Amino acid sequence: MKPDVPAVLIETAGLLARNADPSLPPAERASALGLSAALLGFAAQAWDGAAHNLVQENRAIRSLLGEAGSDDDLRLSALSVENARLRAALIALQAQVEGKDPAKEAAIWAELVASTERRLVAGSPA
Amino acid sequence: MSSTLEPRLAAYIAGRMPEASEVAVDSLGRISGGASRETYRFRLTWRDAAGTPRERKLILRRDPPASLIDTERRIEFEAYRAFHGSAVPVPEMLWLEEADAALDHPFFVAEEIAGHQASPGLLWAEPYAGCHQHLAERKWTILGEIAKADPLALGLDKVMEPVTADACWKRELVYWEGVLDEDEAEPLPIIRAAIRWLRANPPPPAQKVGVVHGDYRTGNFLFDTKGEIHGVLDWEMAHLGDPLEDLGWSFNPVWSFGRVLAGGLIPQDEAVAIWERSSGLKADPAALQWWTLFNCVKGQAIWVSSARAWIDGGNREPIMAYPPWALQNAQDRAALKVMGRL
Repeated sequence: MKPDVPAVLIETAGLLARNADPSLPPAERASALGLSAALLGFAAQAWDGAAHNLVQENRAIRSLLGEAGSDDDLRLSALSVENARLRAALIALQAQVEGKDPAKEAAIWAELVASTERRLVAGSPA
Repeated sequence: MSSTLEPRLAAYIAGRMPEASEVAVDSLGRISGGASRETYRFRLTWRDAAGTPRERKLILRRDPPASLIDTERRIEFEAYRAFHGSAVPVPEMLWLEEADAALDHPFFVAEEIAGHQASPGLLWAEPYAGCHQHLAERKWTILGEIAKADPLALGLDKVMEPVTADACWKRELVYWEGVLDEDEAEPLPIIRAAIRWLRANPPPPAQKVGVVHGDYRTGNFLFDTKGEIHGVLDWEMAHLGDPLEDLGWSFNPVWSFGRVLAGGLIPQDEAVAIWERSSGLKADPAALQWWTLFNCVKGQAIWVSSARAWIDGGNREPIMAYPPWALQNAQDRAALKVMGRL
């Protein structure tokens, strides 16, 4: 998720602290707290599965690209950097095989669908 | 923040109402939402030339330090003004200020259309659950009226960039692809595949070059319990273009709110029929599908821009982090659905 979860949580913590000020207009406080609550809910959803999903996705994309390798650094920041590199390479590969290699194309689409399902946010409007 | 704005806003308005005395602003409060503009409601009081006390409920829309979408507030202001008093209900625009001096950022002041709701979340329960059919009839009839309007007669050709009928699709696609190139914080394979498909399968030229609202969806108009629409809001992305663009945005699956129906209200074919009756235009299915997929790209570009504004530190309001977190995955899912992949 972008912006990154830790950065948003730090900012949200500051916002919650500022909202403790009793002189704040109630409507502004309600708006800030409502949105903060929603962000905390998204962060909570992402917490448990985030590393697992990125490892799975990176593994699947490496396979499509014919790359060897694995994720040794399991920090989300490191996994995300590698994920971005692999997804950029996947875009290039997909553009290259479109209309030329139906089997590879289908395999890429299957992974893109699977990746979207892995990243599914509860209550998604679509 | 609100209390310091009140006297400055009053001073500005007093300068625009030379016949008035005792001009004052109170009850200024920020309205939640508004990722591209800060929106406040307030009460203006004054004495007219005869000394009679007057009051009016108004809206202040002010540019934030960094926005979800970069838009020209003059275009938004003039779009509202063009449709005021027409079959497209909009609030009356009063003053536009494009300099920073008065309130630190450009802003405009408009009439408040009070007593109605805009939040889609209210629609799925009483007392609004029974109004969907009528609301949908009004929603796509009004969108048809926007499509039917003559931008030249409205004077909008003077503030909106011109475009030819055969160039509408390309101009929009190039613009929003550019936003993605500039703002994306991570590669987006599904949206990039959608862009390649859109470029390889362009739609036919627009039937007419019309006014495109640019963000016409459930959530951007004020409704009541009977399903009547009292004000179409958020014209900040208004431009000249193919009227099918607006129809496609209204069918972007993220605006179905998980209810499958168009806008969460009625089946899409019924909405198309209403729009065709109202606009006098045809919604060619292939062209409409192009514009619906295009709007998945545009939507993703907007969520990505919001994330970028937050990441770069220009705007750390929670409303800027919310759209990318809530909608980026949904927008990918929507694109997959429109492409028949999900």
